Amino acid sequence: MAANVEIKQEPVEGVDLETRIINLCQQNPSGINEETIKDDMPQFDVKQRVTAINRLLSTGRLEIFKSGSKLIYRIKDGQSTNSQLKGGDNQEKLVYQIIKEAGNKGIWIRDIRYKSNLLMTQLNKILKNLESKKLIKAVKSVAASKKKVYMLYNLEPDRSVTGGAWYSDQDFESEFVEVLNQQCFKYLQQKAITAAEGKSDPVAQKNGSYASSSEIWTFISKLGISKVQLAVEDIETILDTLVYDGKVEESFLEAQSGDRKRLYRSIKPLIETTGLMRMPCGSCPVVDQCREGGVISPLTCVYMKDWLS
Amino acid sequence: MSKCKVELAYQILKELHGEVVAEIARHLMKFGPRHIKLISEVTQLRVNQIKKGICILIQHNFVKFDRNKKGVTEYAINTDAVSLQLRYPRYIYCAKTLYGDAAELLVEELLQNGQSLMSIASERVTQRLNEALEATGNPKITSSLVRDKFGLLVKTHFLRRCQTVLTDDENRVISSEEPKETESLFILPPLEAGSKRKRNPDGSGPPSKRSKMEEMDIPPDDGVYWMINVERFHQYFRDQLIINCVNSKIDKQAGEIIRNMLRLSEIKTEPHSTVSATMTITEIFHSLPKELGMTKHIVEQYLSILTEDSVDVISKVCDSSGGLYVINIFKVLKSLCQAHIESFVQERFGSKCLRIFRVLILKKHLEQKQIEEYAMIPTKEAKELLYNMFAEHFITLTEISKTVDHAPSRTYYVFRVNIDQVARIILEKCYKAAGNAIIRRQMEVAKHKRVLDKQERVDAIIASLDQAGADEAQKEEIKETITPPEKEQLERCRTTVNMLEQSEIQTDETIFIIETYLYYSLLNTPIK
Ligand code: SF4
Repeated sequence: MAANVEIKQEPVEGVDLETRIINLCQQNPSGINEETIKDDMPQFDVKQRVTAINRLLSTGRLEIFKSGSKLIYRIKDGQSTNSQLKGGDNQEKLVYQIIKEAGNKGIWIRDIRYKSNLLMTQLNKILKNLESKKLIKAVKSVAASKKKVYMLYNLEPDRSVTGGAWYSDQDFESEFVEVLNQQCFKYLQQKAITAAEGKSDPVAQKNGSYASSSEIWTFISKLGISKVQLAVEDIETILDTLVYDGKVEESFLEAQSGDRKRLYRSIKPLIETTGLMRMPCGSCPVVDQCREGGVISPLTCVYMKDWLS
Repeated sequence: MSKCKVELAYQILKELHGEVVAEIARHLMKFGPRHIKLISEVTQLRVNQIKKGICILIQHNFVKFDRNKKGVTEYAINTDAVSLQLRYPRYIYCAKTLYGDAAELLVEELLQNGQSLMSIASERVTQRLNEALEATGNPKITSSLVRDKFGLLVKTHFLRRCQTVLTDDENRVISSEEPKETESLFILPPLEAGSKRKRNPDGSGPPSKRSKMEEMDIPPDDGVYWMINVERFHQYFRDQLIINCVNSKIDKQAGEIIRNMLRLSEIKTEPHSTVSATMTITEIFHSLPKELGMTKHIVEQYLSILTEDSVDVISKVCDSSGGLYVINIFKVLKSLCQAHIESFVQERFGSKCLRIFRVLILKKHLEQKQIEEYAMIPTKEAKELLYNMFAEHFITLTEISKTVDHAPSRTYYVFRVNIDQVARIILEKCYKAAGNAIIRRQMEVAKHKRVLDKQERVDAIIASLDQAGADEAQKEEIKETITPPEKEQLERCRTTVNMLEQSEIQTDETIFIIETYLYYSLLNTPIK
């Protein structure tokens, strides 16, 4: 009976053993030996261990080294790809390696060529190959619209490549930015009004009008105007544009942990439209050519005429 | 001297004193100090005309004269003073709000005549006031009351004596100068009735006045001429700007505090210094009128808000005795000037441009790429906006090459904003705009001259009928001679003229702020 049970359980435990060995290897990146495995999971016998290790080795998930008289097992990187790369030649592996080093910033085809010293035609073929195997992918960069960069298939492209939340297919979403800009401002304005109504003490009034960037982030997220998930930093960039617009002021709050919290509040404009701009000459495009007796003259000016009637 | 400013000054003079005077003034503005012969040669005007014209200009304190090395008298014009006429309505209004109707009329009287004796000005104002009072059935006032007002205006430095004249050995007036002691500008002459002096044989007072005066009674204060002190008015306007700035930035209460701080430090502050004299928190608190009902705690709070504010209205300079504060006059002016510039950019180029403009002010210098990122404007659009502003010199571009060959690919292109330069550009536009408004206004008046004249005649007739005690029906009849279309025309003309006059005054407000800022900025640039 007991034997029966054991036979039935073996495959289960076998798989279990394999994952546990992998885990163990991950914890010790420098490698493990027989002893470590034995200490860690004494419930398995030698035979079970050997089969498991053999299987791992044959599927290419583990590497085996010799250190002194002992054998060391270590995780083999890029385990899954390695098997797929098997069919490819050394050049393919080289290109793959170069692209991998570039990380999620990607690498431009010309730079791959420099590094690999391959001919363009050859390189193109290899890249196509790798792409079709879904090992790498080409991503269009926002920095230069015609430039494609390559990176590993499973990587999320860096912000500098995609442009972050503000781009969809390399197009900058001006309108989206403007909408967010207005929404943030509305929120801050409302906050300032509530603060001014609620409190009589001037300092409390001022402090009440501030909102932290995460507060505004929550508000915007709840509004549901954004299709993409925005980070607090994204909202901060938007809030900065409001600061540049001169509608909002920024301030910092030193938290106990030492990091700074960014606070924002809407401010009232210092002046109304300046006096000059309340007559047509202020924004006149031909003011430099305008003179008494000239072709353009205040006596015959159409802007004046429209404005005065 | 800026071309547009000369043009503006010319237009103003032409309107008030006629073409000849304006022509002489324009000549002097363009070429600097000259003697009469030379003016006459170039302008083709008769010497006699020029003499009269210059008299008028001297009377209004626009022209000064001096004898050059060869012993010929040369005349120099002060363009600023001429263009200040645009601001006269504001001076008058300011006197009215501060010291009432008599002061208003006194200032008006002095502005109209350029300079005048205290006795004469007061006399005339009393007359005018009494006429108005009589018409409304109120009792008359005495001239001593008006004279007291005059004294008050002098005491508060809104009025000052004219420059003292210099004479040569033969007692001929050759020049004038500011007295060494500023205080002597504000000393009132003895004015008791009956203390009529003999006319000084050496005759002081500008030559233009003298001949006229000889035939009249000699007033007790003969020779002591007065004019308005524009600097004092400007200082008042400046303070008002600072208060308004705080009013709109924070609130009315904070504005009141600043108003009192300005009053407190007024006398102690050096003229044109960038910061006011220091004052303690106790001083500030005690200077506040009780009606405001502010506790010391609230005042403290407001002071701390004002210190922390981005405009930097006041600073705490020292912690002793509860804190010493100063008002940062220059900083407020700078913020205000910047606000006006920004308002211009916003209206002229749009809000996206304003954002770029402000990014550049805040970050000093940037490449186009950085601008796009900060302002969150896509490349193509940013390029266009930058170009728009660049074309009008609102932003400048500096090339910084990495290599000696200045190849574009190895060069940084850095954009900047130079506030003072932009301020000057806008100032120039203001002069132009104000000049254009005057030209247009004159044209509108000329266009409707016939109807306007008719209206005037009708008014005159009605007034005389009134005096003769005519009945309503008669007056009605006269009134009806103006037809409905004519009435409409008059109405339209009136609104047009009003609009244009309004813009002249509003434009002058922009001019005042920018000029004041530039003046301070120039004073405080260290000489390299
Ligand atoms: S008068 Fe007309 S054309 Fe001339 S500056 Fe003014 S708006 Fe422009």
